[in-house]
Amino acid sequence: MTAQTVQQGELVTVIGLEVHVQLETETKIFCGCSTGDADEPNEHVCPVCLGLPGALPVVNEAAVEAAVKIGKAIDAEIPQETRFHRKNYYYPDLPKNFQITQYDEPICQSGELEVRVEGERRPIEIERAHLEEDPGSLQHVGGGGGIDSAEYTLIDYNRAGTPLMEIVTAPDFRSPAEVRAFLAELEEVLEYLGVFDAERDGSLRVDANLSIVEAAEADENGELSTEALESANRTEVKNISSHKGAEKALAYEETRQKNAIQRGRVVEQETRHWDESRGITVSMRSKAEEKDYRYFEEADIPPLQVAHWREEIEIPELPRARRERFREEYALDEEAASKLTSTKQVADFYEDLASEFDPDLAATWVADELLGELNYRDMAITELEDRLDEVARLVELVATDEITAKNAKEIVLRTMLDEGAAPDAIVEAEGLGKTDEGEVQAAVEAAIADNPDAVADYAEGDDGAINFLVGQVMQATGGSADPGTVNQLLRAELDD
Amino acid sequence: MSDAFITETELDGAEDGVLAGKTIAIKDNISTEGVRTTCGSAMLEDYVPPYDATVVERVHEAGATIVGKANMDEFGMGTTTETSFVGPTDNPAAPGHVPGGSSGGSAAAVAAGDADLALGSDTGGSIRCPAAFCGVVGIKPTYGLVSRYGLIAYANSLEQIGPLAPTVSEAASLLDVIAGPDDRDATTRADPGEGSYADAADGSVDGMTIGVPTQLVEGADKGVREAFESAIESLEAQGATTTEVDLPSVEQAVEAYYVIAMSEASSNLARYDGVRYGHKSDADGNWNESFAQTRSEGFGEEVKRRILLGTYALSAGYHDKYYAKAQQARDWIKQDFDRVLAEVDVLASPTMPVPPFELGESLDDPLALYLADANTVPVNLADLPAISVPAGETDGLPVGLQLVGPAFGERTIISAASALE
Ligand SMILES: [Zn+2]
Repeated sequence: MTAQTVQQGELVTVIGLEVHVQLETETKIFCGCSTGDADEPNEHVCPVCLGLPGALPVVNEAAVEAAVKIGKAIDAEIPQETRFHRKNYYYPDLPKNFQITQYDEPICQSGELEVRVEGERRPIEIERAHLEEDPGSLQHVGGGGGIDSAEYTLIDYNRAGTPLMEIVTAPDFRSPAEVRAFLAELEEVLEYLGVFDAERDGSLRVDANLSIVEAAEADENGELSTEALESANRTEVKNISSHKGAEKALAYEETRQKNAIQRGRVVEQETRHWDESRGITVSMRSKAEEKDYRYFEEADIPPLQVAHWREEIEIPELPRARRERFREEYALDEEAASKLTSTKQVADFYEDLASEFDPDLAATWVADELLGELNYRDMAITELEDRLDEVARLVELVATDEITAKNAKEIVLRTMLDEGAAPDAIVEAEGLGKTDEGEVQAAVEAAIADNPDAVADYAEGDDGAINFLVGQVMQATGGSADPGTVNQLLRAELDD
Repeated sequence: MSDAFITETELDGAEDGVLAGKTIAIKDNISTEGVRTTCGSAMLEDYVPPYDATVVERVHEAGATIVGKANMDEFGMGTTTETSFVGPTDNPAAPGHVPGGSSGGSAAAVAAGDADLALGSDTGGSIRCPAAFCGVVGIKPTYGLVSRYGLIAYANSLEQIGPLAPTVSEAASLLDVIAGPDDRDATTRADPGEGSYADAADGSVDGMTIGVPTQLVEGADKGVREAFESAIESLEAQGATTTEVDLPSVEQAVEAYYVIAMSEASSNLARYDGVRYGHKSDADGNWNESFAQTRSEGFGEEVKRRILLGTYALSAGYHDKYYAKAQQARDWIKQDFDRVLAEVDVLASPTMPVPPFELGESLDDPLALYLADANTVPVNLADLPAISVPAGETDGLPVGLQLVGPAFGERTIISAASALE
């Protein structure tokens, strides 16, 4: 439990999460069907993921491996042995009318992930994380569009059997912003591990429990007791599918509950649905109607011995550790280090550049120029995957003084991104190669000769006049001269 | 058509192989690609699997010709084969009587000569009971010896597919074909023993110690006991030593078995909702009402009874009282068997405490029927191998003797059973 002091009289928001993430594996969790994109509904199906009579599940080791990686990344306990259970309920997206999941012996327990909100770091306890199978997807057609109001419903089992990891946190969050920061951090970690693809539709699904607790319930240390946390009525908000969505949905729910309390009304213990388009949560069913899932052991899957996996499976350096190393090793500030570790690919690319060129220059080029231009175009670095060597070449051109930083950014990089051309070709086509010294010297002399007024102003002590003259030289050389050098040459001539 | 079959077929196997020239009946809960597989239920009356069970592939490769899908109690839930949606199968060895169940069609096909061999499945005695009632041999293998891939589940932690045949050595040959690990069934395990099962049918029982659990003999009918005792005397005459053993845990076996089997069934049979395959109700209503109506129409009475009881046993507030307790009993039964099997080579008892019922006689008293499983269900709870071999008659009705061995002790029970032929 996180220690957070609260003031008397305050209303404190308490949030816990159940995060479902799709694991990136080639095949489904209990059969050999592909998890890749399909052209048609019900294309990636077989007797197992359709739940045909007599078909049996066989655990995909890649999913277990991904789960162990996650466990290591969140410092979880991974037991000697883990088991699968059946969660029994009827729903049309569930081929067997039970879901194979893990109940009291999950693969990960008691983990932790640190979040940073407004510069402050806080650990969030992860109570458990377990493997399970995704159901199919439903498409309601006609009528009211819901399962009970549609004219009919189509079922696509391509998704059925996709491996999921359900990550359950303690009620450690005190604001929707913390939730958002946690989800971002979690995604970053999962992507570093190579077990998750944020771009994939439906790859992240969040259920959140939110309650408002009166600070009067806090003890003398200002901490909320378990009793206080459990006594408050809470709502479970479902259908959240992004970080932003989580923050918005929970901010809405927080306000709704606080308003109710301030008006003296009781908050109903219920499940609520986040309606993204309307920006509100709506009541689904009361918690009293909660289902009994009749969990029991899945005898078709023998217990898995996983302890040795923890030793054998290696995970890459994680974002937080890498961030700290970058700050030390490359003397970067917090913001640059954070940008440069935002994805594994960015961080790897930066380290490649920093090993060849000045780390400062590399940091500017990756964190500011490249990510800035990509961000402006709403592009991800993954889209440049095959062209990173071209970006490296561009940095080399700057590092070796062959083109100016200004041209490199404003012309070469932008043209690369917009037109797909290679840097050398752009430099050639635009004539951006730095002009030789004689040419610059001639332009300097010409500028002095052509602008006696400015020369006179400079002589009278108006230092601003030099900027005008630099501009003239730059114009004459098509921007390919280095402004600093031009400045020095001008002063040398004028101060003579 | 023989009343042993729900569907007759003529599916030729490979040209050569150890079963070339043999005909085989397949219980209708074992999936056959392109041939409807009904499980004896109206729910699956028109269900045609798109794939073969592993055992079907194996008997095909071994050269057997599949001549029919054998009648059975609906979803394997019965001891008489009378709960099948197509009606009962007569007992060829005792006409007018039930063939036993749930693999009654498989045993009857072999007893009548409609097939040389048959595959059945045994969840609580469903191979051994019909073998005993029809006067043939049936083997329930160690849990994990035979792949269940393609076997339509009733109670998946208990059941195994196994052979039925006129003789021990033919049953053992079929076991040789179907046994062995399968990538598609994670519960299969390799038998650490060596040599074929068929070679184990050597008629030798000399030097073997046979334990007779008093608890499994006391409750049997007088005629059954007499046939059993004379079979035991024959084994002693051939050099076996017999000794009485105490297996107190089996007193809890029937209760534990039904709680576990029904609980698992309530989950295994949940998939029959009319969405993807099988019977679908025409009734109006939302998805929930449609599921309920489909299931209400598609399942028979015994299946509904077991699903309801199993759902109850797993429910919050009852789970610990029933399901968890039954699992504890199962653990005790396993330990109890392990203990006595450390002292003796095999255990012997009557397979069924009673001779075959007359057709229709027992339909109205499920509890009496459940108790008839007293000698077979402990073996499933303990995951052990067992064989039922003919052991004479009582009043002209067949009696079977059951031999139980340690895990992967198939060769031992096959050897001892062959001494009775
Ligand atoms: Zn599949």
